[in-house]
Amino acid sequence: MRTVFVRPERCIGCRQCEFACAVEHSRSRDPVLALFEDPLPHPRIHVDPGHAFNTSFPNKCRHCNPAPCMEVCPTGAVYRDADEGLIMVRLDKCIACAMCAIVCPFDAVTFHPQVNGGAPRVVATKCDGCADRVRREAIPACADACKTDALVYGELNQLVKEGRVREAQVVLAAAVSLEPMASTAPETVTGWREWGSAATEVAGRAS
Amino acid sequence: MIRLRSDELSGLSINEDARSMLARAREEGIETVWDRLAAQGPQCGYCAMGLSCRNCAMGPCRVDPFGEGPQKGVCGADADVIVARNLGRTIAAGAASHSDHGRDILEVFLKTAQGETTGYEIRDQAKLTALAMEYGIETDGQAMQDVARELGDAMMEDFGSRKQCLGLVGRAPEVRSELWEKLGITPRGIDRENVEMLHRTHMGVDNDYVNILLHGLRTSLSDGWGGSMIATELSDVLFGTPQPVMSQVNLGVLKADQVNIALHGHNPLLSDVIVQAAQDPELVALAREKGASGINLVGLCCTGNELQMRKGIPMAGNHLIQELVIMTGALEAMVVDYQCIMPSVTDVAKCFHTQVVSTADKAKFSGATHISFDPGRGLEIGKEIVRHGVEAFSNRNPERVRIPDEPVPMMAGFSVESIVSALGGTPEPLVEAIKEGKIRGAVGVVGCNNPKIPQDHGHVTLTRRLIENDILVVVTGCAAVANGKAGQMVPEAASLAGPGLNAVCSALGIPPVLHLGSCVDNTRILVLAAALAKHLGVDISDLPLAGAAPEWYSEKAVAIGAYVVASGIYTVLGVQPAIFGSKKVVNLLADGLEGVVGAKFAVEPDPERSAVLVRRHIEAKRQALGLSFVEPETIEMPELDLARV
Repeated sequence: MRTVFVRPERCIGCRQCEFACAVEHSRSRDPVLALFEDPLPHPRIHVDPGHAFNTSFPNKCRHCNPAPCMEVCPTGAVYRDADEGLIMVRLDKCIACAMCAIVCPFDAVTFHPQVNGGAPRVVATKCDGCADRVRREAIPACADACKTDALVYGELNQLVKEGRVREAQVVLAAAVSLEPMASTAPETVTGWREWGSAATEVAGRAS
Repeated sequence: MIRLRSDELSGLSINEDARSMLARAREEGIETVWDRLAAQGPQCGYCAMGLSCRNCAMGPCRVDPFGEGPQKGVCGADADVIVARNLGRTIAAGAASHSDHGRDILEVFLKTAQGETTGYEIRDQAKLTALAMEYGIETDGQAMQDVARELGDAMMEDFGSRKQCLGLVGRAPEVRSELWEKLGITPRGIDRENVEMLHRTHMGVDNDYVNILLHGLRTSLSDGWGGSMIATELSDVLFGTPQPVMSQVNLGVLKADQVNIALHGHNPLLSDVIVQAAQDPELVALAREKGASGINLVGLCCTGNELQMRKGIPMAGNHLIQELVIMTGALEAMVVDYQCIMPSVTDVAKCFHTQVVSTADKAKFSGATHISFDPGRGLEIGKEIVRHGVEAFSNRNPERVRIPDEPVPMMAGFSVESIVSALGGTPEPLVEAIKEGKIRGAVGVVGCNNPKIPQDHGHVTLTRRLIENDILVVVTGCAAVANGKAGQMVPEAASLAGPGLNAVCSALGIPPVLHLGSCVDNTRILVLAAALAKHLGVDISDLPLAGAAPEWYSEKAVAIGAYVVASGIYTVLGVQPAIFGSKKVVNLLADGLEGVVGAKFAVEPDPERSAVLVRRHIEAKRQALGLSFVEPETIEMPELDLARV
């Protein structure tokens, strides 16, 4: 399963993913022309700040399976795309009731005017996984725009594995650096006693 | 000779020399500007729209152009104010660059007048006298040195805060300078306007986008009719006013059997003495001793233009050639002064034997050898630099030498003086040709290279379409080099022009595309336009003229575009400036300005379409002047073809 994987510790809050997403979902797909469109295109990914200074999280539809939004949609507007398993919205069926947004565990559905044939109408607006792009083997616009690899696109298990390998290396590097410390055993009985009282003191401080 | 035909590389440049060197870069894994552009993509949309602001520590801020996120910065500035402030600072940076270049020339001019330099002299006394008279300086019976000193002092005052109007503003038609006065945009002091722009764009000063942009025009005018114009005029006085001269262009000007030294940057002060130093018999003998048959100087960018205009020194290439010239493996030294010199040249030089020599104390490069330029020891330093290049010849690996392509001939050296002289001492023949419609109008095609556009495609295509339609083209900077490479700047190229322009150029023995010099020399275009307007008793904005910067990239280009428009000349840009985040700013620049200064900007990336915009504009101006005209709207606009851009 291919997905846009988020590594929040790398997000610097530049919001270029939002911009690229809006342009990708404009009619012109051109950054200048998009600004002159009516209605304006809207991003389907949102970067919001955390409590700590300079932290932020790029939040978007995770394309859940089973997907609560799809289960709850009264008109069948929300459906799963057969090719990539992406959760999509049929604009003509959407009645903007917001049930999908209510049940979404990530608050990833917003409501904006979109054109679908006739006059613009407010409908559920959410990540479509850049289905057009991934079909032609391009990566989604948000991951393409991300300069720090806070958003990366690929096979989910492969991306998880990359993280696992990285962590294994970090843990082992730390363990190896501790080894010489651990191996220096006291050589005399006095030494053992001093070590024992020092250890007791540390334990006392810790509790 | 290497001839490469690769679809991929052909998208990067229209020239064989560049493509050949790009193929080598690929083979050898040498990074170029095109690789770095790809690595940056997609570039930041907020910045590209001008919607990000880093002017204070309450920020950084950005406005969401799609309406969902913040619509104001922390201080309360909206998109209009943020875009205008950013544009104002860009203009100031560009104007400051040209003007500081002008000041450097002025300082050496003054020191030369005081007898404190070596290797410099006043080569054009007639021009000195004429300039002195413009500044109201008594010249009759005065010693030349005294006149020069007085003129230098008067020009120094142009940089300061005491004047209410720059000395050379008097060259503009009266109706134009009165308009500037009415709008409150008469440039007062060169440094002053730049400093005031930085002040106004500090948080909480000028919070009205129109007011900021008006000062942007004033700042740009302090460049066009101030700093740049002083640079051009005094360079002519010190190094000679250009006269038509045959030269050559492209990477083929490098010579396999000689010491090759490239002079890169913008300021002719040092490179002029290097030309003298390279003729030093001792250094030529040293070159022979090292196994070279001589010393071959070549130009790059605008330092190259200055030298080509005055001395016919061959031109290796424009902006995007600066990394590629090193990849010939035949370049012993790249001597740089300042502006548009990529920091990456020292990295590319590490792959070869090339020495990069920096010379301006305000422009140092890590990885370069710095030889500080001192006009008091000009010639001596010139020789030291040339010696550096000659010594490096021993390190050249002949097996690494790949000089692509054969050089193309081109004619350079068209100052206003030499154009008027080619016309028989008066602009009247040009005016007559325009009146009769043999020449429909004139267009300045200027500006840089930008890797976002296939190198030279914009310049060459636009220029060709204009001359084919009997529009005389004058070129400067990278645009001049591009047209030279394309073979459009020899007298025989008149056959590429429409019948009217062809006849005029053939009669005068001049190309249909005239080389007016470096980017500070865009002021020659202002002077020529002002002279034509005065001759006809109209404003510059009434003339069938236009400007175009099809491949611009630099802040200086923004300052140029602004002073050209503020002077009354319609200007088409080929690359989008960072203003589209504010519809009000876009509307003002692309429409409203017409009613203020009689000219406006257009943005059109497709040169086939920009040629039509320019032709329609010129025909409309002809109509307004009561000259023969083609109904502008009947000139067919080609469909936008993104593949062509």
